[in-house]
Amino acid sequence: MKFLYAAWTVKHKPRSIPGIVGNAEAIKTFSDWVKSWSKGVPKKRAAFLYGPPGIGKTVTVEALANDLHVEFVEKNASDYRTEEAINRFAGLASQYGSLFGGKRIILLDELDGLTGNADKGGVKAITEIVKTARCPVVLIANSAYDPRFTNLRTYCLLIEFKKPPTGEVAKHLKRIGEREEIQIDEDALKFIAQRSGGDVRSAVNDLQALAQGKQRLTYEDVSWLGYRDRQDSIFNVLRMIIYGRTCAGAKQAVNMADVDIDMLFEWVYENVPAHLTDPHDLAQAMDALSMADVYRGRIRSTQDWSFTRYVIDYMTAGVAMARQNSKVQGWVPFKFPSRIQMLSRSKAERAMQLSIGFKIKRKCHISAARASKEVLPYLKIIFRNDAAMAAGLAKWLDLDAEMVEYLVGSKEKAEAIGALLS
Amino acid sequence: MSFEMWAEKYRPKHLHDMVNQKEIVERLKSFAKSKNVPHCIFAGPPGTGKTTAALCLARDLYGDGYREHLMELNASDERGIDVVRETVKTFARSRSIGAIPFKIMILDEADNMTSDAQQALRRTMERYTETCRFIMCANYSGKIIEPIQSRCAPFRFTFLPKEEHDDYVKHIAECENVKLLADGAEAIFEVCGGDLRKAINTLQAAASVNKPVDSKLVYSITGRASPADVQKMLDTAMKGDFLGARTQLRDMIQKYGVAGSDIIRQIHTEIFKAAEIPEPWKIRLAGIVGEIDYRLVEGSDEEVQLSALLAKLVEAGNDLKK
Repeated sequence: MKFLYAAWTVKHKPRSIPGIVGNAEAIKTFSDWVKSWSKGVPKKRAAFLYGPPGIGKTVTVEALANDLHVEFVEKNASDYRTEEAINRFAGLASQYGSLFGGKRIILLDELDGLTGNADKGGVKAITEIVKTARCPVVLIANSAYDPRFTNLRTYCLLIEFKKPPTGEVAKHLKRIGEREEIQIDEDALKFIAQRSGGDVRSAVNDLQALAQGKQRLTYEDVSWLGYRDRQDSIFNVLRMIIYGRTCAGAKQAVNMADVDIDMLFEWVYENVPAHLTDPHDLAQAMDALSMADVYRGRIRSTQDWSFTRYVIDYMTAGVAMARQNSKVQGWVPFKFPSRIQMLSRSKAERAMQLSIGFKIKRKCHISAARASKEVLPYLKIIFRNDAAMAAGLAKWLDLDAEMVEYLVGSKEKAEAIGALLS
Repeated sequence: MSFEMWAEKYRPKHLHDMVNQKEIVERLKSFAKSKNVPHCIFAGPPGTGKTTAALCLARDLYGDGYREHLMELNASDERGIDVVRETVKTFARSRSIGAIPFKIMILDEADNMTSDAQQALRRTMERYTETCRFIMCANYSGKIIEPIQSRCAPFRFTFLPKEEHDDYVKHIAECENVKLLADGAEAIFEVCGGDLRKAINTLQAAASVNKPVDSKLVYSITGRASPADVQKMLDTAMKGDFLGARTQLRDMIQKYGVAGSDIIRQIHTEIFKAAEIPEPWKIRLAGIVGEIDYRLVEGSDEEVQLSALLAKLVEAGNDLKK
């Protein structure tokens, strides 16, 4: 299957403590606490790891369990709610045993996911379990200082994880690049690392979106990326649109995107074909995008920006509702809009084309925009074939040496034309 | 050694030099004779003589010094409301010196003006009619707001008929000592569809190769959008490879600068030629092509519109297999 790739965040997840990016101090504290269980039950029976997303809290626990050859049981937010799950979990935690004789670490991830009153009992139950646990219990949340955790907190060893410095993130990305055999320019690495704001997971996701399938990644390929809103990455936004079940849900995505509507359009336009594999669905989705574009045209000609709502309707809900028969096939990565990459790469070229367009405009009663599209291709052919005619036209149009070189496509030929001119 | 773009060199100077659009030219001649011109809209496809007619009219009105009484603005480059408020207004309200009390403002590619700018223009047109007459050139008169249309005399330009087109291209070939073969002239007409500017540019580019101009040369010049490429893209889509077809489309548009309207015209032709498409499907597909053609006019992004069409073709190809 052409689109079946593994997510790099999984494929290149550190399996061992030394491979983890940053937070050396926190990891040491945590590791010492786990090891202390071999000498008996410590004062605090749970460790509470907290810190912003994507910086390696869960990975640390997994890697340490792996390094110490300890069984590792994980529960996350969705499991907490039922009483049964909590009881099962209580059962696991209450069993004795020497840590290195096949004991286990129990991880409760995404504690922030416990919401509202419905889970109030959940926190209380967890607190009870922590009080009596007979094997290491690890809690993970973005913030330990949520009022709900006030009581629970007192029974836990609090360990803060911080955002790793940019340099460390870049080094990690570089390692991935080496393993994937992609040559990544130093400043491109730095840019992705910086933009991630210390969120290693999102940095790796970005790297994959930008670099997968390439042999080389340059600064130009990445530089036009904006800064990501830490709340929701573009990938989540795309998922909400392309896999949306309701119109409202898909439309909601626009508010969460940290890119403008035109850029979001490009992302959707790029990714729709790989995710809607059924021909009928694809035709529907592309039709919706076509209508969104029609409304963009109407906005442009009327300057009435209130039409934007229809652009949004079509490009989000229109695309979401197109999905009827397409099956989900493995993990399909979201790709960066290749059209934008092409455009940003050819930016200098387009500037040159337009400046020649303005020269043509002065003589030919045609707009510079159209001249650069409609007349310039013919000029290129003439300049490459007939030096005398080229020289004459260069003079007539008042082209400078750089323009001549662009049109003729080589320095030597440009010099030959220059010689004819003087 | 003197060279120009032939499209300029052979642009008619006076109304009586113009070879086509006969009814229009006759009416314009009467304007020149009576030394009075209403506001006009010249609407029609590219390369059919709209700008030329406007320039010829100005020259016939004012004589060789016509440049002093004329301003040309191109809405594609300056489409905002500020241009109307400043440049256009300043020009329109200053009095003309000479026998004719008004000047002429040519607003080229006027269908690209924003509607705000058009609204502003409408008042300017009214207020300064005494001192300035407007000629709006546009591909689609429908994109010009109603109030302006109602203030203008409409002129509809059409593509040159084949005979007149061929005569003109052959005339230029003779003057420039280019050996234009019969099938070369055929091919130019087929590729350019009566757009004379494009035809002349094609001829000049072909001439630069310094060989007799035959159909093969013409296709290789305009080439990138030759029927073969479009056909290949259609095949790719009908076989179900949407991404492949989209890449081919993107190359045509971005790398080779082929206009979306050209591509869609060729798709339309190809559909009726294709042997593998069952007859009843051809008309269904033509309807889809037509819808997208219309959206192309209204929309803002040619690639998006055309790839929506490709997706429909992929769907059709898939249904055909059943």
